[in-house]
Amino acid sequence: MQIFEYNGSAVVAMVGKNCFAIASDRRLGVQLQTIATDFQRISKIHDHLFIGLSGLATDVQTLYQRLVFRHKLYQLREERDMKPETFASLVSAILYEKRFGPYLCQPVIAGLGDDNKPFICTMDSIGAKELAKDFVVSGTASESLYGACEAMFKPDMEAEELFETISQALLSSVDRDCLSGWGGHVYVVTPDEIKEKILKGRMD
Amino acid sequence: MKLDTSGFETSMPVIGFGSNSEMLDGVSSVPSFDLPRTTDFDGFQKKSVEMVKPAKGTTTLAFIFKEGVMVAADSRASMGGYISSQSVKKIIEINPYMLGTMAGGAADCQFWHRNLGIKCRLHELANKRRISVSGASKLLANMLYSYRGMGLSVGTMIAGWDETGPGLYYVDNEGGRLKGDRFSVGSGSPYAYGVLDSGYKFDMSIEEASELARRSIYHATFRDGASGGVASVYHVGPQGWTKLSGDDVGELHYHYYPVAPATAEHVMEEAA
Repeated sequence: MQIFEYNGSAVVAMVGKNCFAIASDRRLGVQLQTIATDFQRISKIHDHLFIGLSGLATDVQTLYQRLVFRHKLYQLREERDMKPETFASLVSAILYEKRFGPYLCQPVIAGLGDDNKPFICTMDSIGAKELAKDFVVSGTASESLYGACEAMFKPDMEAEELFETISQALLSSVDRDCLSGWGGHVYVVTPDEIKEKILKGRMD
Repeated sequence: MKLDTSGFETSMPVIGFGSNSEMLDGVSSVPSFDLPRTTDFDGFQKKSVEMVKPAKGTTTLAFIFKEGVMVAADSRASMGGYISSQSVKKIIEINPYMLGTMAGGAADCQFWHRNLGIKCRLHELANKRRISVSGASKLLANMLYSYRGMGLSVGTMIAGWDETGPGLYYVDNEGGRLKGDRFSVGSGSPYAYGVLDSGYKFDMSIEEASELARRSIYHATFRDGASGGVASVYHVGPQGWTKLSGDDVGELHYHYYPVAPATAEHVMEEAA
């Protein structure tokens, strides 16, 4: 199996009305064997910026640690949080630095920018940004996720409805993938609060 | 001084690749094969077998106990990472008193089990008595041996009840045939063996045995990515086989390990 499918992953982010949701599966595997069912793929950079990383688990953890470090430096120098668009450019630059020995992960970035306008984007493993207005996906279940999101997405959903939609899209897609699933982890972020929920999914 | 190398020469003529030696016709002491003209012969052979052979992504198990044979399997079909179906029948009913399990290529298993069913029926008609489990498994093993190396992928267990009592045989595409009390086949078999071997006793009732079989399949579906769907359990007794249960493993998980309601850690209390 290829290296991107070694650990298995599924990450999706969706845009709503002045809010966004980002969700991932919870499986950590070694090819077909499941090792853990509580692996963290989505991490908070600051209250209005989240990054979900799919792909090789060791690179997911290392890249996250490097990005947190860079953001903390930025906070010390600029005395404010990074805007999502700026952060996306930072991630893209860090990934391209390793063009000939890349980090084997595909990030999904989701945040609230100026005027609480939601921002989502995804990248390939060498930093090619793909901005979208509706949803972005990545991971071994990405093809199923594209199909599910395309069918279920509506623009300008409120937080509650967005949570339902992203959860259903994630669970139905990972049920068609041997390498991801075993539960789900969803964050729904509005300008005032962050709601974190664990999904009960099929554990097979 | 020149070394005497006459001892290295053999009297057997060397057969070149792909050539047909008239000298040896009728006297061939060494079998000759037409070989492909490639630089990497072993690599080519491996790739051509791999191309046809799908991986045995499944979990099936069977064991003999006091009341007969218990047979269980999952129901997931996977193509690499993609789940193509969650509802495949992996326990094949050869005849009313014999079951076969499917692991490996679905088409291969379905075809050869049906073929075996035909041969068993012909045996019954010719000899006016049912074929034994030993005989049926031997028929299948011999059929598969003749196709050895051609890329068939079959890892099956033949379970049944005949005049000598319960019978269980493992037969695979290499032509191997093993008689035994407990078998598990497929990518999820290590996990199933763990649960099956630690819980097995010969003197179990039918309920205990079916619960053991169901639990073993459930644990295999949890750990193995290529197993999942529905855990089917069949029992083969002196009157033939019966299907005992078919439980969705997604629901079985929460049945065995219910989610404890999260306790509120910080309770908001009224200021005194």
